Amino acid sequence: MTNRLKEIKWREHVIYFIFTGIILLFSVLLFDRGFLTGSNLMNIARQTAMISIMAVGMTFVLAAEEIDLSFGSVVALAAIITAQVLRATGSIILAILAGLLVGAIIGIINGLFVAKVGIPSFLVTLGMSGIILGTARWVSHLQSIPINNDTFTFIFGSGDIGPVPVLFIWMILAGSLGHLVLKKTPFGRKVLATGGNKISALYSGIKVSRMKMSVMVINSVLAAFAGILYTGRLHGARYTLGTNEVMIVIAAVIIGGTSMFGGKGSVIGSVIGALIMGILNNGLILLGLSVDQQMIFRGLIIIIAVSLTMREKKG
Amino acid sequence: MSEYSINASAINISFDGVHILHDVDFKVKAGEVHALVGTNGAGKSTLVKIINGVYKKDSGTISIFGKDLEYNTPEEALKAGIAMVFQDLSLIPSLTVAQNIFLQTHPYRKGLLIDDRKAGENAKELLSMIGVDTEISINDKVEDLSVGKQQIIEIAKALSHNPKVLILDEPTASLSSAEIESLFTVIETLKKKGISIIYITHYLQDIFKICDSLTLIRDGKIIFREDTIDINLKYLVDAMAGGESESISWNRKKAMRSGTPLLELKDLNTEKIKNIDLKIYPGEIVGIAGLLGSGRSELLETLFGIEKLRTGKILVNGKAVDISSSSKAIDEGITLVPENRREQGLVLDFAVEDNIVMSIINRLKKFIVVDREKTGKIANHYIQSLNVKTQGPGQVVRYLSGGNQQKIVVAKCLASDSKILLLDDPTFGVDIHAKHEIMKIIMDYASKGNGVLFISSEFKEIAGFCDSIYIMKKGRLTEFLSEDVSEDDLLLKVQ
Ligand SMILES: Nc1ncnc2c1ncn2[C@@H]1O[C@H](COP(=O)(O)OP(=O)(O)OP(=O)(O)O)[C@@H](O)[C@H]1O
Ligand SMILES: [Mg+2]
Repeated sequence: MTNRLKEIKWREHVIYFIFTGIILLFSVLLFDRGFLTGSNLMNIARQTAMISIMAVGMTFVLAAEEIDLSFGSVVALAAIITAQVLRATGSIILAILAGLLVGAIIGIINGLFVAKVGIPSFLVTLGMSGIILGTARWVSHLQSIPINNDTFTFIFGSGDIGPVPVLFIWMILAGSLGHLVLKKTPFGRKVLATGGNKISALYSGIKVSRMKMSVMVINSVLAAFAGILYTGRLHGARYTLGTNEVMIVIAAVIIGGTSMFGGKGSVIGSVIGALIMGILNNGLILLGLSVDQQMIFRGLIIIIAVSLTMREKKG
Repeated sequence: MSEYSINASAINISFDGVHILHDVDFKVKAGEVHALVGTNGAGKSTLVKIINGVYKKDSGTISIFGKDLEYNTPEEALKAGIAMVFQDLSLIPSLTVAQNIFLQTHPYRKGLLIDDRKAGENAKELLSMIGVDTEISINDKVEDLSVGKQQIIEIAKALSHNPKVLILDEPTASLSSAEIESLFTVIETLKKKGISIIYITHYLQDIFKICDSLTLIRDGKIIFREDTIDINLKYLVDAMAGGESESISWNRKKAMRSGTPLLELKDLNTEKIKNIDLKIYPGEIVGIAGLLGSGRSELLETLFGIEKLRTGKILVNGKAVDISSSSKAIDEGITLVPENRREQGLVLDFAVEDNIVMSIINRLKKFIVVDREKTGKIANHYIQSLNVKTQGPGQVVRYLSGGNQQKIVVAKCLASDSKILLLDDPTFGVDIHAKHEIMKIIMDYASKGNGVLFISSEFKEIAGFCDSIYIMKKGRLTEFLSEDVSEDDLLLKVQ
């Protein structure tokens, strides 16, 4: 029993060991291939920023014992709408607002079905993801929508301030804000209580359905923001954005120590989990693995990392 | 063969570096009912969980009928003849009685399939052996049974393994008095069959009714092992705490029912309760005496916005209020200590302090963040005043003893600073000393002009503690008592 307690503590911090371990491993393996160079590290930051930002939102969702599978298609639709509004009006502010509004509306719809109608979030968001992706394909006619507004692309994805990519700044901003809200504010505590035991949260006067609604909205808005950043980074939007990232984001959050059974979440862990994913991607490419090999390896490593970090089931 | 079915000696265990059991010796004779007694957090559940193989002891030996045995899981303990009924029920609600009883054993197979008919027959046999086959059908779904009957099913499930030792950890805590009587009959039957029973309870009178001997444990150390006939209740109560205990007496406050009631219910109706009229005046402790299933818990849940109100009015200080959700109830100054601490009262994986401030978290803001310092202060205040045994406000509630978890639920409601406290069996599983502490705090609270509505499965508590009492039967309040009543009067009236 004593051992089991120690084990739980160890599991909470194992993410940092994995993180350090992977960096060390690649530093040695890839020493002569420029893994540790500043430009490669900044590159990793750029590739990881959007995953991290989505992982921040997903942390709230899982902490409240819900799940969201629709955010990948939110990325696509928000990106497309942002790009279209930007092209049509030339106004960055309008474009951003339109993109975020897409996220908010979808979040509210998800939230209404989950919190008010009481359908499991798994089913609601699975269905929604089809609807959203269909809409994205339809409004974009399966075409890419290029952007050539330099201010927009600089702020939202492509720019560097000194040696630091703006994407990195966005990531730190989202991470710190998310951490503050989840760990330090009454709202965060209520989200965790809802996920930890929603009946007792209810008996404590917490508006459980409002909490569920909120996490669904937070997640969708952050996914929409990630969509905007993809648009800025790639100088355009396309309906394929985001959908491949769904599993990676969820894996990053779980590796980061957030419980799939609710009640426990760490935004910092999620961001580190996302960095692990990014480093893995980068390292496997630098190692010269083929795409198929990369997929297999990434899958394996995710399973191993998740089993090391997964908390024991409540009991 | 040894006369002892269980002989544990020099048992030690620590959790997280904290030494919980110190060189514990514990013996039970074959065919006796043996009580394990001690205050909340003394180490009773821990000791029996070691005997049952749930926890691994750090050192010590356990011998069963004179044979030293090493086992590390409940399955191995079962094989050695030890079965346990846990403090918190472990049945699967959606399965039937028979399916639950033979969940782990399912010995009755036809090839790869479970032989449901045979299992059913055997389940029926078990039920008739403990004398409940007329009341419980093996095809009932467990979720449709009362807690008391579920408790009996738990026992039947344990007995399906043919144990020589049966461990019961606070089996009567949620039973009605009739159910307790039938449990005692079951225990007598088992004893006659030569089964030893380890019986943990905070109802000390029961020990003198059914136990042959007892072991007292305090702070993880064994104080004594005695035959029940050699000691008396007062001696036991004092020995539990390790000193003379003060007794409390409550002076009934009469003639206070005038002026504007703090809480008034006018013809309240929900799905389960009918035509409820009730008044609580400032400073008053009002009891509701009713059997399990009389609608008493539903009444409290209605006042707390959990159960849906169909018709009727709720007035606070003479003003009609809308209580359609628990957060509205809290806004109106009403809090509830719910019936089930683990399901309704606590977030088990939250720290002690986070649970205590859960209903007032919005009020604990400093700028936008939670004020940790104030949180800690509130938590420490209640840890001290309720004498919670914990490593500190940061300890996760899951690892507190049952009674100490209950104290956290009470603390949470007291912390909410409300005018009306609804108490659904607030001292459930709490030891006699802590019970007195809680009672004192509640009296204090009432005397400041607040109101209390109090339910207990112990009618003695209601009779001795409340200023006035309503009798509840089948969803209705049938009688109002403002004069002194005895426990026995109440028992008769609620039938
Ligand atoms: N898994 C655990 N991890 C850490 N501490 C524990 C664990 N289980 C029990 N304890 C501690 O051991 C002590 C004894 O707990 P135990 O549950 O045995 O008490 P108990 O005598 O059964 O009390 P109660 O009457 O309240 O049920 C308590 O202080 C409790 O906090
Ligand atoms: Mg116990």
